[in-house]
Amino acid sequence: MTDELRPADLETSPAPNPIWTRLSVIWLVPLVALAITLGIAWQSYADRGTLIEIDFADATGVRPGETVLKFREVEVGRVETVGFNPDLSSVRIGVRVNKEVAHFVDNEARFWLVRPQVSAQGISRLDTVLSGTFIEGYWDAESAGQQTLFQGLDKPPVTPDPTKGTWIELRAEDAGGLAEGAPVLFRGITVGRIQNLRLNDADSGVIVDAFIDSPHDRRLTTNTRFWDTSGISVSLSASGVSLDMRSLASLVQGGIEFDTFTTGGTFIQNGFPFRLYSTAEAARTSIFGAGLAEPARYTLLFDDAIEGLQRGSKVQFRGVEAGEITDLSIKVQTDSTGTRFAQQQVVIALSPERLGLARGTEQEIVNEFLATEVDSGLRARVAGVGLLGSTLVIELTDVPDVPPAVINRSAKPYPTLPTTDAKTNDLAASAEGVFKRIDALPIEELMASAIRTLDSISAVAESEDTRAVPGELAGLLEQLRTLTDGLNQRGASEKAVAALDGMTEAASTVMTEFEGLAETLASTDAAAQAVAEMPLGEIGNKIDGILADIRTMLGSEDAERLPRALSDTLEESAALLAELREGGAAEKINGTLLAAQDAATAIESASERLPDLTAKLESLVTTAERLVASYGERSAFNAEVLDTMREMRRATAAFGSLARMIERNPRAFILGR
Amino acid sequence: MGRNRAEVTIQTARDAGLVGCTRCGKVWPQQTHECGRCGATLKRVDNAGLQAVWAWWLAGLIFYIPANLYPMLRTSTLAGSQQNTIIGGVVELVTHHSYFVAAVVFVASVVIPVSKFIAIAYLALAVGNERRAGSHRHLHLFEVVEFIGRWSMVDVFVVAILSALVQLGAVVSIHPGPAAAAFALSVALTMLSAQSFDPRLIWRGPARTTGS
Repeated sequence: MTDELRPADLETSPAPNPIWTRLSVIWLVPLVALAITLGIAWQSYADRGTLIEIDFADATGVRPGETVLKFREVEVGRVETVGFNPDLSSVRIGVRVNKEVAHFVDNEARFWLVRPQVSAQGISRLDTVLSGTFIEGYWDAESAGQQTLFQGLDKPPVTPDPTKGTWIELRAEDAGGLAEGAPVLFRGITVGRIQNLRLNDADSGVIVDAFIDSPHDRRLTTNTRFWDTSGISVSLSASGVSLDMRSLASLVQGGIEFDTFTTGGTFIQNGFPFRLYSTAEAARTSIFGAGLAEPARYTLLFDDAIEGLQRGSKVQFRGVEAGEITDLSIKVQTDSTGTRFAQQQVVIALSPERLGLARGTEQEIVNEFLATEVDSGLRARVAGVGLLGSTLVIELTDVPDVPPAVINRSAKPYPTLPTTDAKTNDLAASAEGVFKRIDALPIEELMASAIRTLDSISAVAESEDTRAVPGELAGLLEQLRTLTDGLNQRGASEKAVAALDGMTEAASTVMTEFEGLAETLASTDAAAQAVAEMPLGEIGNKIDGILADIRTMLGSEDAERLPRALSDTLEESAALLAELREGGAAEKINGTLLAAQDAATAIESASERLPDLTAKLESLVTTAERLVASYGERSAFNAEVLDTMREMRRATAAFGSLARMIERNPRAFILGR
Repeated sequence: MGRNRAEVTIQTARDAGLVGCTRCGKVWPQQTHECGRCGATLKRVDNAGLQAVWAWWLAGLIFYIPANLYPMLRTSTLAGSQQNTIIGGVVELVTHHSYFVAAVVFVASVVIPVSKFIAIAYLALAVGNERRAGSHRHLHLFEVVEFIGRWSMVDVFVVAILSALVQLGAVVSIHPGPAAAAFALSVALTMLSAQSFDPRLIWRGPARTTGS
């Protein structure tokens, strides 16, 4: 046994190297790789931009990851998601916008989808057929009001940059032939576009937005007027048919033209409202100002049926055109006994300027003004204008003796003005009657009678007995001379001379009047209507009767005996004169001559009134002339009048020659030579 | 595993106190530092070599992530530009019913790199495991990995050739994406990883390492 203890074998193992000494430098490789990868990841995360969301009605052609967002045709973002908004009413497109521009995308930013478009102006954005739809955005260089949710536009805006021009608002009765994107023309050059055709709040008209590009927008003033040039306008006039068509585009799409007819307007701001007229003529002549979008409107209620009033008919304020009718309708109402009755409801629009108020006066102030006018008797009524009253207008005028009334300001939709019965058109009615009567005058018979009378007179004058008269008269004159001699000696001659002077004067006055009369008669042939107000028919009849009487008288045996009676009388007078010469007749004659002088003076004074008569006749003629002139030139009625007048002229010519004959040689009337 | 155990009994060069030249294959006594025939440095079989394998492997794996996340190709045509990742491209090819091309791309870009990662990791782990050491299968696996690894570069070559050839201006042009570089790096790194692996470790076995 050995006690030798052998130490146990020391189990040795090489000391393990510390882990860092065992590490190879090769481990740097994955560390570098990791660093690079993380760096790239961080960079792409930091550069990825802002996510914005845009709502569109639909997302035609939009594909996530492919569709891009462009600003001025430069890609600045890419669509990441296409989803729906919470109520599924629109598509919500998420777009990652590059960091450089993201902070410019503020609440002013607008987005729209760009697709190929085929319109009347041509085909645009054909490139998108190949490249696919993209989203175009526009924003300005100012960043304010950041937001991430936007409402996309349904269609490309008229202009991407609203600062390069002016927005205006056009208001029209209806859209006519206008379509979205139609051009706005200035002297035929396209200077803008319209968009956003829509109804106004009351559905009573159409509102159109128009954008006028700079620099043309500085042609716009508050006096500028716009009108619709859509389609083709054909006008028929004396010079022939005129066809007007602006451009093919405006034929298809419509168009709006503007011009400034009057100076003095001020420059306008964005969104200024203009009235859109239907025609250039209406724009030029309309009494409503260009900028006056909403004139004062009133409702008129008439009990009677009014035939002939139409939309656009004029409204006259004390004879001045001050507005027009904008609407006509029937209003059924119930009176106190429950009976239903219909009233004509007429809506009128009044221009405050034409009422003497400032331009653009509020309706309330116009109400005030009209209320005071109504107090003093202003009423609305239907009246006819034109010669026959064929054109009806609404007349706002003072009507005497009307029951008091007020404006009903609470009436809907517009305040109600009191009305009165329609004015019957006396002038028109009577003028027509007058011409009918003139037409019915027995001119032919009158002429025949006159001719017969003259024949009879000349027959009388040419008779033997009549011819004997001068001889007798010579004798009488001889005796008169003798008598005069006697009178001269007795101081009567002065008186006689005075009396004769008076008579001469009277005669010359009468002569003058004859001349005046001749002129009057001459002018009568230009205006037979002078007799408009006179019952010519009766006069004619009476003249006829008188002439007939004269003719009968002249034709009677008594008349034939007249010359003989006359010569008898003359003989008797001669005898009388002889007696007078012998007796104290001179004194008596003296007295008689005095009386004759008085009579001559009376005649003179009477004749002085003849000029007045002539003047009156002439003014009557002038009035009638105007009346006739106001007729059209070619109406059937006019033709009748012309015929009548021609006959009248012939008649008056005959009268005139008769008068002239009498004037030249009054004696010939009596003596036949 | 019984077969493995049987194979453990095979005598290795190290058991015989020899070291083999990795270039020409001649064995030398263990203390020899230089191959007397070809002049190559003689390396001892060492676990330290595994660190390099793992390091390259990890770097390759790291680059494989962006290679799959970033687009491989940027195709700009008149109809807009298109970016495709590897998987995205495969899916698109499938939707266009190009199944064969899709399969080629999928195999070259996904199957091979992924299986390579798995294979290398398996080998590197296996050589540290006594029970799995000394397997002919491991050697075959290693040979397959080394042979097939370079084919992953097919994808990179396709991108490079397309980018060079298809430059028709606005009509169509192709540019490599960031993933192409990452993928090329990933493939290169895994190839380095495979090359760093010393196949002699397969036979050496960890048990004897500790036992000697």
